[in-house]
Formats: sequence, C-alpha cells, structure tokens
Amino acid sequence: MDRVQITKTILWIITGLTAAVGITRFAFGLGAVTNLTDATPWGLWIGFDVMAGVALASGGFVITAIFYIMKREEFHPLVKPAVLTAFLGYVAVIVGLLFDLGLPWNIWHMMIYWNFHSPLFEVGWCVMLYTTVLLLEFSPVPLEEASRYAKIRNFLMKFRFPLVLVGIMLSTLHQSSLGSLFLIMPFKLYPLWYSEILPILFFISAVALGLMMVSLESLVSSYLYRRKTESHLVAKLCKAAIWVLGLYFVIRMSDIIATGKFGLIFSGTWESVLFIIEMAMTVVIPIALFSIPRVRRSLAGQWVGSLLVVLGMVFNRINVGGLTMLRVTGDTYFPSWTEIIITLGVVSGAALAFLFAIEKFHIWKKRPRHPESDRHAKPHFDRTSEVWLGAPGVAARTRYSFAFVLSFAVAFAFLPGKKIHSGGIEEVPTRKARGGDTLFVDGNRDGYGVTFKHDLHMAKNGQKQSCILCHHMNLPMDKQSGCYACHRDMYSPSDAFRHDWHASSAGANLACHQCHEPDEERMAFTAKKCEDCHKDLFVPGSLIEVEKHVASSYTDAMHGLCVNCHKRKAMELPDKPNLARCATCHESTPPDYLQAAIKGKRSGPYFNHVVLPGASVQRKGP
Amino acid sequence: MSVKAILTDVTKCIGCLECVAACKAAYSLKMDLPKTWQKNDGLSANNWTSILQKAGNHYVRKQCRHCHQPACVSVCPVGALSKTPEGPVIYDSGKCLGCRYCMMACPYGIPRYDWDKPVPYVRKCIMCYDRIKEGKQPACTTACPVGATIFGDRDELLAEAHRRIRQNPGKYLNKVYGEHEVGGTSVLYISDIDLGFLSYQPNLGELALPQTTSTAMKSVPYTFVGVGAFMLGLNWIIKRRMKLQDQEVEKEK
Repeated sequence: MDRVQITKTILWIITGLTAAVGITRFAFGLGAVTNLTDATPWGLWIGFDVMAGVALASGGFVITAIFYIMKREEFHPLVKPAVLTAFLGYVAVIVGLLFDLGLPWNIWHMMIYWNFHSPLFEVGWCVMLYTTVLLLEFSPVPLEEASRYAKIRNFLMKFRFPLVLVGIMLSTLHQSSLGSLFLIMPFKLYPLWYSEILPILFFISAVALGLMMVSLESLVSSYLYRRKTESHLVAKLCKAAIWVLGLYFVIRMSDIIATGKFGLIFSGTWESVLFIIEMAMTVVIPIALFSIPRVRRSLAGQWVGSLLVVLGMVFNRINVGGLTMLRVTGDTYFPSWTEIIITLGVVSGAALAFLFAIEKFHIWKKRPRHPESDRHAKPHFDRTSEVWLGAPGVAARTRYSFAFVLSFAVAFAFLPGKKIHSGGIEEVPTRKARGGDTLFVDGNRDGYGVTFKHDLHMAKNGQKQSCILCHHMNLPMDKQSGCYACHRDMYSPSDAFRHDWHASSAGANLACHQCHEPDEERMAFTAKKCEDCHKDLFVPGSLIEVEKHVASSYTDAMHGLCVNCHKRKAMELPDKPNLARCATCHESTPPDYLQAAIKGKRSGPYFNHVVLPGASVQRKGP
Repeated sequence: MSVKAILTDVTKCIGCLECVAACKAAYSLKMDLPKTWQKNDGLSANNWTSILQKAGNHYVRKQCRHCHQPACVSVCPVGALSKTPEGPVIYDSGKCLGCRYCMMACPYGIPRYDWDKPVPYVRKCIMCYDRIKEGKQPACTTACPVGATIFGDRDELLAEAHRRIRQNPGKYLNKVYGEHEVGGTSVLYISDIDLGFLSYQPNLGELALPQTTSTAMKSVPYTFVGVGAFMLGLNWIIKRRMKLQDQEVEKEK
C-alpha cells in the first residue's frame, strides 16, 4: 500500500474507535469518558480541540490576507488548500465542542441569549460567522465541478474580496478573544502565562501559526501524494515567520519583565521548565533555523521549523488552557484514552475530508495521480491486496469500511466498563475494625474512624440480650464474622453470595437444580434461600432482617445500625442531647493503642461528604 | 427588598452539619458519595454547602459567595447565571449549554457539575431564592441551632459583624470577609482564623473580576472596524503602487 492508503487506513481506524467512544459519551455522560473534575472542568477538549484547533485553522485568514489584501500573487497555489484547511479546522472545532459541551443541543442558545460581557459569547458568535464565511469562500471550489452551479459560483466569486475582508476582521476578534477568556483567572493561571495582554499575544501567535500551518500542510500533502512541493513559497512564509515570531517574543518578554515576573523563568519549578521548552519550540529554535537562508530553503529545515512552531503553539494553548493551573487547583488531571481518541477522531475526520477534497476537487493545479482518485485508472495488485477487491475505488471503499467497522467493534471491548457503571464512585475495599472492648471502626483506613465502645453498649442494653441488636450474620462455619466480610466496599453494595464459587467444581461443586427449581427461571428470588443449607448463617433472634444476598455498602451498614437508635436515645436520655449528631461519633479520638498507628495519617479537613444514612437496614422491631 | 446577605460566625459553629442537611432536604438532593471528580472540600453536585474542619475545633462553612459583581455571571455566554437585586446569584438551567466557563472563572471554585449524568447541570447554592422572594429565610440559616449562620439585610449584618468585632477585642480577626473582597459579596464571615483557604488565592483583593475582561470586551467593536479599515487602507496603497508601477512600465514602452 502506498503512503496515502496507509494514512487513510489509519485515519479510518481512529474514526471507528471514536464513533464507539462518542456513542458512550452521549449515552453515559462526561464522567464516563473523561477524567474531567470539578477542579479541572476544562481539559484536553478545550485546550486542544477548541483553543489549539482555532489557532491551527488560522492559515485561512493569513494566506487570504497575503494574497487578496497584500496582493502577493505568487502565493496563489497555497490559497485554496489553506482555506480548505481552515474551513475543516473550524468544523472540527465545532464538532469537538459538541462532544465537550454538557448540553450540546443548546449550542444554538448563543443566538438568542446574549451576554456581551462574556468573552466566550464573543468567541462563539465570531466562530459561527467565520465558519459561514469560510464556507462561502471555499464553496466555489466544489461548485466548479458541475456546470449547473455556475450562476451561484459566479455570484460567490464576485463577493470574494468582501468575504476575505470580513473573514480577517472576524478572525482577529476571535483569535484574540480566546486569550481574553483567561483574563478573568488571574488567581489560577501561572504568572508566566497570565498577562493583561493575553488577547494580543494570542492574536500574534495565531498569525505566526497560520503561516506555519500553511507551510506544514503543503509539506505534508506533497509528501503523501509524492508531488513537488512549493518549497520556494514555503521558504518565503518561513522568512515572514521570523518577523512575526520575533515580535511575539519581544512583546511577551517585555510584558513578563515589566510585571516583574522575569525571575520566575529561572525559579526551577516545573512550570518554568515548561515555559523554557515552550519558548524554545515556538520562538528560539525556529527563528534560529529560519534565519539561515540555506536551512530555510531546505526541505528538512522547513519541516523541522514549521513542526516546532505548530507543536510549540499547541503546547502554549494547552498551557494556558489548564496545564499551568494545576498547582493552584491541586488537581492531577490527565486525559483518559477515551478523551484522547475523540480528539484524534475529530482531527482524523477533518483530515479524511481534506484528502477527499484534494483528490476530487480542483485545489491543486494538477489533481494527484492516485489510483483511487482516478476512476478510469487501470487496477493494479500490490502486496497487501493480492485479493481482487475490484476497481481501485471499490477496493478502497471496502478496505476503509472494514477498518472502520472493525475498530468500532474493537473499541467496545476496551471501553472503561467499571468507570461507566460505577457512576464515578471509587472502589474502596473495607478493612476490619480494630480493637477489642473498644473498637475503632475505620473501614477505609484513612485515619478517620469511629471509636465504638463495644463493652459499654453491651452493658447499657442488657448484656447477653444486646447481641441481637447488631450481630445478624456469620460466614458459614464462623462464629463471629466481622461486618467487613460481607460489606466489602465502603460506598457500593457488594455481593455476599459467591455464585461462581458455589457453581464451580473447584468450589462447592453444586449442580444448578440443587438450588434452582427445574421449571422456574434461574433467578436469585426463585432459588433456595441461604438458610435452607447454611443452618448457622443467621444469628438466632437477630433483629436485623436480611432479604437479599446483596450486602449494603459499609457506610450504609454502619449508619443503619447506629443512627436510628442514637436518635431515639438522644430524645429518651436526659443528659445526652447531641447523641445523634454526626460529630459525636465521627469526632472521636482513636484509642491509645492505635494512636501511634494513626498518627500522621489524618490530614486535611474531615467532614468531606455528608453520607446521609440510607434506608438499607430493616429491623424487626425497634 | 433590600440586598440580603448571610453572615457566618466561625467562632460559633459547632460543626453539627444541620445547615448541610437542611439544604439537601430543601432541594431533594441525593445522598452524596465520594466520587473521583470531587474536590476535597465537601461541595459537589449534591452538596451545595459544606463544613470544613480546621485545626483546633474550627468549623468553617463553604458555599457560593453570591458576589456583587460575580465572575460567573459575567462569563456565562448565554446569561444562565444572573445576579438578582435581592442578592442571590441564581442559575437558569434552561439556558445553560454546559460550557463550564463559570466553573473555570469562579475564584472560590464553587460551581459543581453533574459529571455522572447524560444531561448535566451546574450546581451551587442559590441562597434559596424562591424562599427569599416569599419573605422567608434560606433553609440553612433557619436550621442552624446556635445562630452561627444568620440571614438578613446586608447593611444590618455588616453592622452586626463590626459590632461583634468591636465588642470582643481579640476574639476575631479584624476583618469581615466579603465586605470588600472581589468587589463585595453577599456572604460574609467573621472568624478567628484566616479564611484564605476558601479561595484559590488567600488574598483575592478588592478588584471585581469582571473588570479584568471589560477592557478587552469594550474594544471589540473598535478592533472590528479598525482591522477592516487597516486592511482596506493597506490594500488600496498596494494596488495604487502596482498601478503606478504598471504606468511607469507603460511609459517606458
């Protein structure tokens, strides 16, 4: 397979994976497919898809300014690909947003609900208008293919200059407003990135990025389709980039020096290292490379330079978008694979559309001579497609559909099932309470527990008769099972009946009919009850009813045992009005013999979550 | 109705969590379990106020501050969050598109999200706006058994706060939190410990956050027209130069 076919196969695979993850995102919500948190509500999808995406699509307004405004006619070959890249880029941004927004079906609300104070309102409107402008700017290209659209095409071509002008005006606004978004977060953004001139810095970097994206796009598509590059034009863009990048560097460093932040660059923090890397990638190395004419005109120099600027500016957007806020928020966010695949998928979709347009429409002077693009080419066999799939166009469709469907199916195997079903609740296995007469109940061993005076409770509730108030089940052949043996998770219910063990030959080796009636459905509620075989399972006379084999969560079980009785006693006893307060039990100090073990474990605030007791424990009687 | 506020006296709070429970009961919020996306401060989509326990038996209530010039209100692109004349900052879920800019902008990190729902909304304290409009108190201040958190007119509560500080020298820090912070808030605190941990920076200053974006936003129309004029001018100059050059070439012929 040749380069284009390999590339397209990979892109279709990524798109297939993305389709599966995309369905999951809409079916189960953002928590199931992202690692976004309350502390980091904006992650990869905003930092890359939206911010970097809009910046990367700046080639459109830059090249149209060069060609139509500055009338540099020699850049004509670069105009159509650049406008196409920009259009697909903005569509990709909007599709990415549809994934990221919590309520994407309300995305049109910006048209009817206005808030002029919001930079995001400004960005939203400008992106909407500019995408329309790009569509109108690009549509003459596909319309050229059929003569019956000639009238519409001529109409659009007449307005090309006003469209370009409005496009540049709109681009200036929203490229800078993406920077304005962060002006309101002076307390979160690391000082080396926060600046009162963020909008200006974002705009200048977008211009530089536009020049480099046009260059990179030319280099990549020439490589894929094995055609001669417009290297002389790219060299000129690189030369212009020296000035724009230099201006960006001067303005940004002046701002940092003027606001007294210069020392931070050498402070040795991880953010300062990121800053140095970012400046090296976006400014220092590219300017050095491009300043040497021989390097600037060489293919390698153009590849390395444009790639560095592109990756460096993406890095800048990610830094501003949230990476450098992690110190203040204290969060440790890293995108999940499902988040990354949706980002890659949106980009792949845009790339596939780009390749389609390059092959089908008159974007380059000569359409690429590619077996798939030329319907009348003679079919040929190669190593991987020894099988006759048909004419090249058909073979391509078959190959890519197969790649898409296969990846779509495979993705479902790797979806994070636990994450989807748990609803965000982490698995926390419980440990036994420690002690004897006085128990320290600390299921998740985080140092915050309840000191339970077992002997005192026994004494106050009638000694031997008090056991049945709390103890209700033991494991088979055990006389004093701890609660943790069945209530195995802190916050989620757990299965107390191990069906697989009972059925397997390595375990109890029971046949199905020994518990299930032959003519009934094989369900838990039609099977034998536990006590039908295990005579010693239940504590005789216990006041706690157990109807199902699903044990409630540890927190539910503990609260269910204690709270109602404490509430009653608080009203009955004359001298203990605070008995039912959370802090009465939860504030207790650990017993002496545990102080050493727990010391140093407790840190930070305690009352983290109000886990109001669930009604999961039913009692027969009081 | 004049501007209302809530005053919380940290020295009086006993950490009974009645305010938390009352808030949950008032809005039928579900039982809250620790989730992977939650911050370690007790607030979540199902907990709109929380109690933080600090060293030395100090209990500090955390909730939305209902700022006078809220960052969240100014950044919401569709105006789903709005500041009412009575004080509370309320949320209109019908307008929201889920961009979560409010969560990014708030300097106290208050708004929380329904990450586990396919139809998620932004969740935060709304100072029981429906009850306030009926002339009642919010659920939390009604429930507080020791009067640590109280509701009333902002002016009166400010006077009360200053009176308590004045009449109990040494008991409180000489500062009413929320009086001038970020332009003034409708949730005030008096305390004997520093409350800097309630926000992303201990000292937020007195500048209202919407002022940070107002210059940029006000210059939008001028930038729009200015860039257009500049581009037209540049184009005209270049076309003229090309025309003059062509004329010179013609002349030489």
